Amino acid sequence: MIPRPPMLQRRFLSTATATTTTTNHRRRWPVKQVTKANFSEALDQIKNHLGDSDFVAVSLQKTGSFSSPWHRVLPIDTADTAYFKAKYAAERFQVLQFAVCPFSIRASKVIAHPYNFHLFPRDELKIGMPSYSFSCQSSYLTSMAREGFDFNACIYNGISYLSRAQESASKDRIGNPVPSKYVIQSSSALSVADAVFVERIKSRVRHWRNAFKDTSTRAEEALIKSLRKLILGSEEYGSRPCLSIDVCSERQVQLALEMLRDFSEDLVPLLIPTKGGETQAVRVVLTSSKEDKETFERELQNLEDEQNKRVRGFREVIDLISTFSETCYFTFIYSKFLSSLPSSMDEFRCSVRLVFPHILDVNHLMKEIGLMKKVTNLPAAISYLKRRFFAPIDMEISHQGKSLLHTYDASESKIHGHDVLRISELFAKLCSILKIAPVTHEDENGHLPSVLEDYTNIFNPCSTSSQDHTIDEDVSVWTDNRRKVDSKDLVFLWGFRGGMSARTLKKLLHDSHDVFSEEFDIRLLDKSCAVVAFWNPGLSESFLEAMDSGGISCESLGEMISEGLRAATYQTYRRACRLGILEADLADSLEKALGDADSLSEAHSEESSEIYWDSDLMINLDDL
Amino acid sequence: MKKQWLVRALSETLTLASTTTSSFTRSLCSSTSSSSSSSSSSSFALKNVTKSNFESALSDLRRLVRDADFVSIDLEMTGVTSAPWRDSFEFDRFDIRYLKVKDSAEKFAVVQFGVCPFRWDSSKQSFIAHPHNFYIFPRQEIPVGGPSYEFLCQTTSIDFLAKYQFDFNQCIHEGISYLSRGQQDEALRHLQMRYEDDLSELYLREARDTALVRIADVLFTERMKNRISEWREGLLQSRNSGSKFQESTNDFSQQFQTIFFKMRPALLLNGFTSHQLRLIQLVTVKHFENLVYIRVKGESSTVQQLIVYTESNNDRGLLMKEVKDGLRKEEEKKIEAAVGFRHVIDLLSSEQKLIVGHNCFLDIAHMYSKFLGSLPSTAEEYVSSVHKYFPYIIDTKVLLNANDVLRAMMKKGSTSLSKAFAFLCSEIASSVKGSRLGLKPHVNVEVRVDDMRSSNWNSGAKHEAGYDAFMTGCVFAQVCSHLGFNFELHPPFTNLTHDEKLQKHINLLYLSWINSDIIDLRTGKQTAESSYNSLKFRYPKIVFSNICLIWGFPSKLKAREIRECISKVFGPSSVSSIYHLDETAVFVQFSKEEYVSVFLELKETLERNNDPISVLHPLSKLLEGGNTRAASYEFYKEICSSSISKVLFADQAESIGIKWKTKLLGENEMASFRNSTDESESGKMNSVIDDLSCSHFLVDETLDSLYPAEAQVSK
Repeated sequence: MIPRPPMLQRRFLSTATATTTTTNHRRRWPVKQVTKANFSEALDQIKNHLGDSDFVAVSLQKTGSFSSPWHRVLPIDTADTAYFKAKYAAERFQVLQFAVCPFSIRASKVIAHPYNFHLFPRDELKIGMPSYSFSCQSSYLTSMAREGFDFNACIYNGISYLSRAQESASKDRIGNPVPSKYVIQSSSALSVADAVFVERIKSRVRHWRNAFKDTSTRAEEALIKSLRKLILGSEEYGSRPCLSIDVCSERQVQLALEMLRDFSEDLVPLLIPTKGGETQAVRVVLTSSKEDKETFERELQNLEDEQNKRVRGFREVIDLISTFSETCYFTFIYSKFLSSLPSSMDEFRCSVRLVFPHILDVNHLMKEIGLMKKVTNLPAAISYLKRRFFAPIDMEISHQGKSLLHTYDASESKIHGHDVLRISELFAKLCSILKIAPVTHEDENGHLPSVLEDYTNIFNPCSTSSQDHTIDEDVSVWTDNRRKVDSKDLVFLWGFRGGMSARTLKKLLHDSHDVFSEEFDIRLLDKSCAVVAFWNPGLSESFLEAMDSGGISCESLGEMISEGLRAATYQTYRRACRLGILEADLADSLEKALGDADSLSEAHSEESSEIYWDSDLMINLDDL
Repeated sequence: MKKQWLVRALSETLTLASTTTSSFTRSLCSSTSSSSSSSSSSSFALKNVTKSNFESALSDLRRLVRDADFVSIDLEMTGVTSAPWRDSFEFDRFDIRYLKVKDSAEKFAVVQFGVCPFRWDSSKQSFIAHPHNFYIFPRQEIPVGGPSYEFLCQTTSIDFLAKYQFDFNQCIHEGISYLSRGQQDEALRHLQMRYEDDLSELYLREARDTALVRIADVLFTERMKNRISEWREGLLQSRNSGSKFQESTNDFSQQFQTIFFKMRPALLLNGFTSHQLRLIQLVTVKHFENLVYIRVKGESSTVQQLIVYTESNNDRGLLMKEVKDGLRKEEEKKIEAAVGFRHVIDLLSSEQKLIVGHNCFLDIAHMYSKFLGSLPSTAEEYVSSVHKYFPYIIDTKVLLNANDVLRAMMKKGSTSLSKAFAFLCSEIASSVKGSRLGLKPHVNVEVRVDDMRSSNWNSGAKHEAGYDAFMTGCVFAQVCSHLGFNFELHPPFTNLTHDEKLQKHINLLYLSWINSDIIDLRTGKQTAESSYNSLKFRYPKIVFSNICLIWGFPSKLKAREIRECISKVFGPSSVSSIYHLDETAVFVQFSKEEYVSVFLELKETLERNNDPISVLHPLSKLLEGGNTRAASYEFYKEICSSSISKVLFADQAESIGIKWKTKLLGENEMASFRNSTDESESGKMNSVIDDLSCSHFLVDETLDSLYPAEAQVSK
């Protein structure tokens, strides 16, 4: 039975602060650093480790996450909007390090094989892929620099990659000869033009072939040889002679290939693609014997493999994880290594499930033991567990031989891929605390042991949200100091005086219109925009009507409107997220999304979702 | 004798390097020595400036720039075009070229800034150059409201920099940060606002809101209350009895230390957790009228927690004000410090020196957007604003192409910086290949660098901003001499900027090299001087009103097929050229303006009536798939001014929210077309330069320009 490790995922990569230096000295874990130079070797190793391990932990180092406070996933976000935000970030920023750690848990021991892959989206093939450009947040780079990240190593020696979708697109554009796969096709009746074409190239090929087969010409002088070459239109492919047949259509390609079957004992046809992906010519290579033909075909196969390795690069690792574990997830991996991100959460979910069936989020597991919602970084979480629970876990890091000693020094920190190890450790601790048997042998139906299964594939679209947006339904949601609110009852407000606090705004609104005499709540989302939750259904509509009418019925609201107050529904917010209108200020985005509103199909407009209103302050205003 | 001097210069370098004194290394780039000049030119080190030596380098530079006759500059960026279609094309109108440059300057970061002051030394009969290489990085040094700093990297450009051994670590770890004038004003305004808000009040109220829950907290609070009260009593007693209160401090543990703060006795709190400090603050506020709890930045920038004794409410107010003023001063100082590299730009601007760049329109745009403020939306506004800050800018690329003699001398050689340098300054550039073919330089240039990092010098440091700036300056000096300057006869010529021969070239920059479009910074207009028409006219003349923009068509369609498709409808010579923006979009230039509106209207009609006629229509091949959009040239401007950058043009158009399929022209234009259709159909068409090879050529051009790294090289 093939082991099928689920994948641990962590999303709050950058939140770990520099407070971990002391821990680092104590815990010096050798992590294999992989760059262009040792990639092939590491690939073979990790293949074995992935096969032997039960779980895989991954962690990424990115060039940025959110550019503006409201781009983070906020408590008011639904799974949908959170996904759009994550998609926006994943499409813009770049992954510079990808740490992968296959591991198994045996009793209280974690056996781990950590790898840290350095990536750079170098355009190896000069085709504008994998990415034309990417964004960097200077604060991210600065803090990476503080921890000693080596940007030169990453940019000079990082491994490049192409996503699955890009790979198939690029095949056409590289323009390398492709060995033709004979398509057995009952050829339709030949037209006159076809017949002429076939006869013409047939005689040309035969003539050319005979000229080479004819041993008497072997001894010719160089001049005559080159003259003959010129006349016959012969070229050389490697050391073998070849002939190009220009074709104008795929039909002619078909005909040429069919015709060449008559010469199959020593001729090998290759298709020469144009940059657009069509075939521009069929190149016929003449081999000297049956053995030579086989050698040549093997050469071609090797060439293709080599090419594939160059093209896919680091993606081979992702593919490996996917094959061995039939596992995993997450917007960044998806957009960089699989394809472009689909336009809706549902599609994304289905697609991810196909590629990575089991994903575990340690962050989610942590919530299971409660009281941990405030712990947002790994070192903090580990030390928290140490304080509160007795769950000794030994880490055993094994790599072949001692080849790793050179890979670490005292100043190592999370930038060298240690986070994967922390994730593994944390996972092991959590399993032991939660009494989950960390065994992954699936039963006949391909299910994980049921305890673990319960935790699989539940992940927050983003960890900064302290709320569970579940993909599966059966997850307990914290209900203390939260209230459910329908997204219909949320109204976004902006255009009020800058620097106003939520309290002042609430007071102002309270006096402005009847709807605010009922119970309502208000939170600032950023400097420019606030969200109002109406606890009585229906009031949001009346308020929006009042806004539309310009506040005719009541003076103070009218005054606020004339000063620039604007309002929008949750739909507008969703639209802004969906269209990727993520301006620095939420107000600007909503304004733009409103401008777009009329023309777009409002198919989703009636869909509403429940949101858990958190009575804690949503955003610490100090962050703004 | 010459040789002897050379040897001395070398040995001087060596000793200096070993003792690391800050005097000058002298390197000789003399042209007169014929035998061994190459051995001397490799010994000088470029001055690299980072955070750590910025202060001292800046003060040296102030002097050097003040004395300089001109200053040459060069920038290295993280990218040039944010999408392939944002590259510069022949079919770009004047205003669109500016929009493209604007987009580039706004999105990408500058990572290296080369500044090289040149001074004529009449005693040595030589220019003295001081190449500086500044590493800069847009680090967010002070919290300014608004979005985080973000910049784009173009993968090929980063790769290009890596190819030339650019030190990214140096840049990100040690790069000098900066604030633009706009950002500085904003930060000060922000500070003013915070100052006006009574922050302390807010803070105190917050503290009062917290309730004690844990029993440990209650006990701790009680103990602190006693301690503080003891201390206060001690103060009062000692004051009344006239004895020193230091004695009483002995009772306190290490955690409390009595000091004077702003002439008042105060308790310095040490070694408490933040939670405990909060509780102490709570106690102070609740129980002690005349004690004030404050947080201040102490020496070595650690935060100190203090409880200060005040005489009265009045005194208390006074103290708060003092503290706040202190904080504000501190903040202002921090903002001042964050200005960083902009001091160099301010220096260049205030000294009003002649600034020399090579093909530097983009460089200047970067300088504007990074160090002055956000770029205006039109070229005219921008240019008048730039002219105010930098009244004298000269572009060596313009200069090289303007002078017929030079052009002839350089034959058909490219005017790229390194080529020009190798050609004009062959003996200085002994490391540059092919230098022996060049001209004998007329002007001597001596390089002086203080000797801090001589070991770092890589003599082939092409595409290092400092070295590029140096090359630019050298080229300028040689060109001046070819233009007839005799530096030796007319020393010290402080007024290069007012020289007659240079005057006609000053403030002219290539807005786009591809089309040799030159912009005059004094007027903001495009110049049409014949002397600049260096490029042969290979293309049919571009008439923007004849151009129609089509995108979203089936991806397999090539320019040739699109032309065939349209020609079937409008006649064989109706399309004068087709130009690919990228694989999803083309410009179609019609031979007549009317065709644009006819085409748009026809397309609209065909799509509206989805009947057999439309299906069989020759244009249906172009409309296949139902995503083909078309608009007039004006729409291109709209797209280019968007801040979004999608890689494919069709995606870009979609992302800015296009809902229509065809954007028809206005009513007036429609009417004018109806009158003229008959005429055109009768075949009385102007003969246009129309051949397939031409359009092929254009297509190839586009494909080439998809690789901006190469474009950068050719700079």
